[in-house]
Amino acid sequence: MPDAELPRARWLHQRIEGAGAAALAALEAAVELWRVYVATWAGIVRRVARRRAHGRPRGELARQLYSIGNRSLVFIAVTLGFIGMVMTYEACLQLARVTGDFSQVGSQFLRLIISDFGPTLTGLMLATRVGAGIAAEIGSMKVTEQIDALRMSGVLPIDYLIVPRFIASLVMTLVLAVFGAVVMYTAGGLTAKYSFGVNLGLYFDASQVRARHVVLLVIKAIAFGAAIPVVAGFCGLRARGSSEGVGWATTAAVIGGSFAVIVLDFVISAAALFVTGGDL
Amino acid sequence: MTAFIEYRDVTKAFAGKPVLRGMNLAIARGEVMFIIGTSGVGKSVTIKHLIGLLRIDGGEIWFDGRRVDRLPERALAPLRKRIGMVFQSSTLFDSMTLAENVALPLRKHQRMAWTAALDEARRRLAQVYMAEHAERYPAELSDGMRKRAAIARTLALDPEVVLFDEPTTGLDPISARRIDRLIRELAGSLGVTAVVVSHDLASTFAIADRVAFLYQGVVHVVAAPGELRASPDPIVQQFITGRSSGPMETPGF
Repeated sequence: MPDAELPRARWLHQRIEGAGAAALAALEAAVELWRVYVATWAGIVRRVARRRAHGRPRGELARQLYSIGNRSLVFIAVTLGFIGMVMTYEACLQLARVTGDFSQVGSQFLRLIISDFGPTLTGLMLATRVGAGIAAEIGSMKVTEQIDALRMSGVLPIDYLIVPRFIASLVMTLVLAVFGAVVMYTAGGLTAKYSFGVNLGLYFDASQVRARHVVLLVIKAIAFGAAIPVVAGFCGLRARGSSEGVGWATTAAVIGGSFAVIVLDFVISAAALFVTGGDL
Repeated sequence: MTAFIEYRDVTKAFAGKPVLRGMNLAIARGEVMFIIGTSGVGKSVTIKHLIGLLRIDGGEIWFDGRRVDRLPERALAPLRKRIGMVFQSSTLFDSMTLAENVALPLRKHQRMAWTAALDEARRRLAQVYMAEHAERYPAELSDGMRKRAAIARTLALDPEVVLFDEPTTGLDPISARRIDRLIRELAGSLGVTAVVVSHDLASTFAIADRVAFLYQGVVHVVAAPGELRASPDPIVQQFITGRSSGPMETPGF
């Protein structure tokens, strides 16, 4: 090889090496995330099996249900309420310009909310509020050696920290998705009535909703509810160093959780289209 | 001397940077062994390897005639029952009261019912004069009180070995000497083996049976405190006299 080409070859070598290292790190992280997910389910099985065996500190699951569910109520109501108002206003505005026929606004919006907007927007909101909280809490415990202290106490950190949050998130994401859908639809209805004079009897029309839309809401809510605490817990457990590491874990949990919600939404929606032959 | 705990040619690197480079150390049953050295030399890393909180890259670690460095996480539970650790920052669980903190290892390792574990935890806290604070949360207490509660949590399982990571750091001199006395009493009256990572030379010279001086990833010297103080080794002398200039290489300074 001529001497002049050596720096270029070295540059190329470094780039390939860097890309390879990044790919390996990503693969390693994906495998680790999968292990956390599997370990979480194993922890649930152990939790059920041991429940009758001997006593346990009461209230952790209730605390997590309250923290993830009740404390997200206002946040979900406000965000999904405003989004519902904006979406309905935009839809009515366009309809007013084109046909002026508002008869389908409510029924079509309800179908969309149930099959997609309700669970997905709720999932995205929870990925930020709940995901950040879980990652910050577990990350702080990691960098202050509390996770090591748990291991020394004979406790599996995933059983103790992620399992209760996982169960609470499964339940509460479903509840909040239904709640968010109701708020979104109601806020949209009031916007349609007071901005465009749409008759509420015409707006609150569930004729377009099929059982498959409700099934889709349930599947999406459960999938998002499972993904958010696992991704956040995984990020928290990978926190290193000090407060900077906790910050990194929190940011990664929000990005990772939101990304998981969007990817799962796409996969589940595509699968539903495939299963129903496009009749959604 | 029969080694109760033994490190054989242990190596460990973090992100390619070697910390331990073939470390050897033997600790006898019932002795108080201090591990001293500059910051970042691998003292805490050394004791965490014994209980599987970190994994070695090479070498072997033996405890009571059994190799322990390759045990999987689940198999480490019995070992962690026999070897307790008091962490540097106490590491009490913020969301639990002191009694709940102490009860947790009792419930998990001893399979005690939660209420019985709480009763035992209150008794253990009373032994370190913390009975009246049993229902308080760690954030409401001083560093010294948290340290005592952390010691109560570790001792609740009646371990044969207790690892102390900087037990007197951040404490006032009186609290520090009380911790020293507690460590000495553990070894003297209960026969507990204590491995203490410390920067506190007052503690080291007051209560250690032997001192291992870690330098450049290996045990540079193992000696009784008196022998260490009288050592002609210039590196040892620089460390124990705290001179900023001398033959010691201290990366980062």
